[in-house]
Amino acid sequence: MRSPTTVPGLRLDGLVKTLGGNRVVDHIELEVPSGSFFGLVGPNGAGKTTTLSMAVGLLRPDAGRAEIFGIDVWTDPVRAKTLIGVLPDGLAMPERLTGRELLRFTGLLRGMDRADVEDRAGQLLETLGLQAAERTLVMEYSTGMRKKIGLASALLHAPKLLVLDEPLEAVDPVSAATIREILKWFVGGGGTVVLSSHVMALVEDLCDHVAVINSGRVAAAGSLTGVRAGLSLEQRFVSLVGGPLPQVEELAWLAS
Amino acid sequence: MVGILIRMKLAVQRNSMTSQRAAQMIVGGLVGLALAAAVLLLASRDYPLASLRFDLLGAALAVWTAGWLLGPALFGGGDETLRPEHFAHYGLTPRALTAGLTAAAFVGVTPVVTLVAFTGLVVGAVSAGLGPGAIIVGVLSVPLQLIFSVLASRLVTAVFGQVMRSRLGAALAAFISAATLAALHSGWVLSPLVSATLNTGFPSGLATGMRILPSGWGLAAVEAAGRAEWPVALAALAALALLGTGCLYGWAVLMRRRLTTRRAHGRPAKVAADRWARGPVTAVAARELRTYTRDLHRFHLVCFAMGYALVFCMLPLAVGASLFLPWTGLLFALWMSAICANLYSDDGTELWGKIMISGAIGHDVRGRQVGWLLVTAPPTVILTIGLVFVSGQYEQWPWLAALVPAVLGGGAGVSVLVSVLRPVPLADPHRRSGNLLDNGTDFTQVLLMLVLTAATATPAFFAVRLGPTWAGPVAGVISGTALAWLLGRIAIARLHSTAPELLHYFRSGARPAHRNLQPVPARHHNHDVGLPRPDLGLQRLGLDLAPTGRRAYVVASLTLCWVPLVAQGVVPAIMLATGEANRSWFLALHLPEGLRWATIIAMIGIGLVLLTTGLATGLYYLVKSRRVGV
Repeated sequence: MRSPTTVPGLRLDGLVKTLGGNRVVDHIELEVPSGSFFGLVGPNGAGKTTTLSMAVGLLRPDAGRAEIFGIDVWTDPVRAKTLIGVLPDGLAMPERLTGRELLRFTGLLRGMDRADVEDRAGQLLETLGLQAAERTLVMEYSTGMRKKIGLASALLHAPKLLVLDEPLEAVDPVSAATIREILKWFVGGGGTVVLSSHVMALVEDLCDHVAVINSGRVAAAGSLTGVRAGLSLEQRFVSLVGGPLPQVEELAWLAS
Repeated sequence: MVGILIRMKLAVQRNSMTSQRAAQMIVGGLVGLALAAAVLLLASRDYPLASLRFDLLGAALAVWTAGWLLGPALFGGGDETLRPEHFAHYGLTPRALTAGLTAAAFVGVTPVVTLVAFTGLVVGAVSAGLGPGAIIVGVLSVPLQLIFSVLASRLVTAVFGQVMRSRLGAALAAFISAATLAALHSGWVLSPLVSATLNTGFPSGLATGMRILPSGWGLAAVEAAGRAEWPVALAALAALALLGTGCLYGWAVLMRRRLTTRRAHGRPAKVAADRWARGPVTAVAARELRTYTRDLHRFHLVCFAMGYALVFCMLPLAVGASLFLPWTGLLFALWMSAICANLYSDDGTELWGKIMISGAIGHDVRGRQVGWLLVTAPPTVILTIGLVFVSGQYEQWPWLAALVPAVLGGGAGVSVLVSVLRPVPLADPHRRSGNLLDNGTDFTQVLLMLVLTAATATPAFFAVRLGPTWAGPVAGVISGTALAWLLGRIAIARLHSTAPELLHYFRSGARPAHRNLQPVPARHHNHDVGLPRPDLGLQRLGLDLAPTGRRAYVVASLTLCWVPLVAQGVVPAIMLATGEANRSWFLALHLPEGLRWATIIAMIGIGLVLLTTGLATGLYYLVKSRRVGV
């Protein structure tokens, strides 16, 4: 485990979650250095979403702690949550609002000044290429648009830490490029990003730190170069979590 | 082609036949045959007034046809054993497909039972001695009437399928179901009208109207033949055949549309600036107002509340009784509370957004209360004031001035509290199909809400009953305000401590019994795991685990308890108290004076026993079902 030089942006200490008799998260320990671009990778069902949900206060852990810039998410949620912006995967948003209304009401609910909210909302919609859809209800948005408006909503109050669950899954290449640029710019400005993904190329391209999770445990964590250990991230990932490849010769009749 | 589709439909029905379905089919068929026998009896028995035979037969045919037209839309989609989509990618011409599906539509128990009922046209002609000509016309009209009913049913169901996805359709469906339910609950007031009609014959307008409707064209043809007006008889039969053909073409057009179009995405919404939304609470209230108009499900429920209140209170006007009229607004508020017990599950997993914003939970609960009041209070107050003036029942003022603020405040409190404590998980808004029947109403929850909201008016009720004139309104305002604040406060505290568990409940459909106990499996990747959400039917009612007898008891007691409780208890009590006694069907009012109050109290007692035992049994199995329902 890497020793941070400053207070870590996110620190998970022995998180445990059992769901339906399965230990989905099994004593996960992680430190995300402040100002880093951190990738959480793992196969489907590895426990990435459950870990991130517990890290930000959406799912109560059975044991362990989650701290954001040294503040415990579960004992001092009010202070912790003002520091983070979250983009969960697959959860609903205020679906019957237009994109602009969603940003407006989210900002007001955060106690922001109305004029300030309108300014920021306009800039975010423009940067993310959502102006054309600002009169469309969120429930009518495509997957890429949902991710972008979710990101805008997470950025609206200028958080210090962004926690993004599969932010680029099922997103078209153009929208993906926009999101990547914004995230790079956010980290460049001193922000911290934690994103989960099972696309190795994406993590390798964006992140400077990475953790590999498998079966609810941390298989490897640290700087990208450290974790790769001279291999590509994908090769290293397969060597850490991979199993034997299937025998496809039995489907010979498929050959035309 | 036709033969293949008919054999295919029979094969599907045979393969999907379980013992339960077979029992349903047999029971349904027997009930249908009994009703058809009743129609034949109406057509064959002797009447003191000659016109009554065909008037009653016309009424029966109209009701029967209405069942064909509205039944599928109200109770679930119609016969979809063979769906046109199954054949969309085969090389079939639309004409061949329509012909095949049309022929298959006539295969089943319901068309056969309908055929039996419609032979009442022949039986009527024979019993009335209209002659061989009329009998032949009757024999011809029976299949034509059946063809019209089946095809019109297909057409109307297809039209509903298209418009139910719009706000107009949602409102229409809500008003129809509200009117049906309210008429069932307050239809008893029409009993004097019905008995008068049976003695003096149908009013001429009604009798003519029943023959102008297509359901009465066969009847009109038989009667015309009996009078030897052959051109009229033939014209009526031809019109029936033509209308059936028209329905067939209409259905074919809509079927083609169904197969080749889909709902447009990205439609622009009407946007308002909401200058008044400047703080967190007003922002939530503004968002709630949008939900009431933009969410089809919520809009449908509001229309239902309004439709029920209007029909229930205005139906007695048919017999000249305006007793209920001033209470329309109050009944609307009561129903608004009853249907708004899922304010959080209606938004689904969007709860995560509230959890992530510091301090948002308190603002959210208060904002939802303000939103509910903004939607409910104006119609309630306007209806109450307006209808008191219209009906001239100024003596009701003390009651209304006390109960309206009490129920508005109580409803604002109870709706958020139950939304947090006992929500029914629904599919996330963006994952709903657009079919309103997908999110059927939870019967037990609605009853619970009606009882709880009505209970919040207790202090105001006793203040009017026992205190001076000014006490009622004061108690109403104070108890309404206090309950709205207090129940909202409890909801906020509860959400603060259990919001992550509630979110988990909305995601997985299973509630952890205790926050630190092991919850049931969550979905980790909600796009690839089918969720065990309670849906329509027994599981939604929570009765899937109840034994058949208990299940029948819950449904029967909760459906019937209103008869002794309200219709034979509360209403005659009000009549006795106000001195406006109209005996009608009220048992107590037919008895000697000394027994009246005792009977009323006994009736209310029976009603309460049925209500509470039914509710308790239902809730017991609901909790059990939700715990197991993984």
